[in-house]
Amino acid sequence: MIVIGIESSAHTFGVGIVDNGVILANEKSMYNITTKGMIPGDVANYHMDHVNEVISKALLSANISIDELEGVCYTKGPGIGPCLQVGQLAAKTIAKELGLKITTVNHSIAHIEIAKHFAKQKDPLVLYVSGGNSQILKMRKNKTNKYYVLGETFDIGVGNMLDNFARSAKLNPAWGSTVAKIANEGKYIELPYTVKGMDFAFTGLLTKATSLIGKEKIQDLCFSIQENAFSMICEATERALLMTNSSELCVCGGVAQSSMLKDMLGSVAKEHKAKFGYAPDQYNADNGAMIAFVGERELSKGHDTKLSKCTIDQKFRTDLAVVY
Amino acid sequence: MQLFSEGAEAKIYSHQILGKKLLFKVREPKSYRIQNLDQKIRKSRTKREAKIMVKATAAGIMVPKLVAVSKFTICMEMINGKLMKDAKITARTLSKSGSLLAKLHNINIVHGDFTPANIMLCGNDVFAIDFGLSEVTISLEEKAMDLLLMKRAISSAQFSKFLSGYASEAKARLTLLKLKEIEKRGRYKIRTLTTS
Repeated sequence: MIVIGIESSAHTFGVGIVDNGVILANEKSMYNITTKGMIPGDVANYHMDHVNEVISKALLSANISIDELEGVCYTKGPGIGPCLQVGQLAAKTIAKELGLKITTVNHSIAHIEIAKHFAKQKDPLVLYVSGGNSQILKMRKNKTNKYYVLGETFDIGVGNMLDNFARSAKLNPAWGSTVAKIANEGKYIELPYTVKGMDFAFTGLLTKATSLIGKEKIQDLCFSIQENAFSMICEATERALLMTNSSELCVCGGVAQSSMLKDMLGSVAKEHKAKFGYAPDQYNADNGAMIAFVGERELSKGHDTKLSKCTIDQKFRTDLAVVY
Repeated sequence: MQLFSEGAEAKIYSHQILGKKLLFKVREPKSYRIQNLDQKIRKSRTKREAKIMVKATAAGIMVPKLVAVSKFTICMEMINGKLMKDAKITARTLSKSGSLLAKLHNINIVHGDFTPANIMLCGNDVFAIDFGLSEVTISLEEKAMDLLLMKRAISSAQFSKFLSGYASEAKARLTLLKLKEIEKRGRYKIRTLTTS
């Protein structure tokens, strides 16, 4: 089944095309964050202006015509309301005009499932780390086809924390990777480290590090904030790995592009003899292919959604989404 | 000495000395952390854990008795029991573990990871173990977090039995109000955690 998937939860407008589990196209256009961050209305307008262009590009790189599409899906949430609405509108228009089956996809689940696909893992412990989310999850055993959350951030996502710090320090976007680059020349200074069992909190670390801007060397701050944040995540993940007795560990989400985090998690997995896996970077960043991948699986199993039920949900939790 | 169990935080070895079974909790280095941070965490947690065990024992609360402590190692008496997570969870043990947590909170010890994996049942007694993430604090927020962790680890019916035991804490009402407040913070409204 050839399905087109549309992702527009944050600054990326992405379109993916998947045929029977094979990714045919993954095109995207990204809103330039500048120093102001994401202004919801502006990002939505940006997406609106790029709908046609990105869809055409995806069809071209998949080498199919629009009439060959058999289904359509889009990100229902979590994400920024006005941005999600653009994807929703685009998907519903395609569905209505072409008379296609349509379904909605949870953004977090899409990250997880595409990573599992590339890592060739069946039932891993999942670490999902991105701008807005930081969760440790595992599939329930009771056949509800839902994940449960073992641990998560008590306040903000790890990506958001790094971005926030970098913005205060007037570093250039994309902030997370800028922090990583500057950190290479730093040495360690003491910063808060907050782990509660399998949960963790980032705002204490953020506040302290931000208050030290100008007083400590920026290289040292970048190094230490990153070191503390990733160590906290690794500690919680290690605890969850042991508790669930998992033989596989999978990391996904935007922050999974960090090679430092992957190295650290790799050593956690190795110590407990678990297989460690992740998707290539372009599928860890927000993208349309992951939406199409999950949507295609749903549609091909007959789980389509009525057009009138195709809504958005800014706070759509990972543990409430059914995975087919 | 033989390896008794392995946690994320430390390795636990058992050894018999003068007819007494002892456990040695050794915080070993974590390769993913830089040495500086790693040593600091291991040292401060070992020291804090030992202090808290002594404080709890002095207040007559059921926790493993501390025998000795060094830089990264805690030596304690062994409790011959079964972890709550591996045992049949009854109303009585739930209520008893509730009042156990209440007693800890009464002397301002926050456990930090109070779940069935860290509660040990031994005959009629219920012990709290693993104070690796514990703190001494008067913060209601921290105490309420203990409740939240427990709430997510057991079913809601089990949690209400647990609370019936917890109600004996002097400030139980305030802590429960705080728990409600925490749960209202967006992210936690709908989080449920039952492991199966």
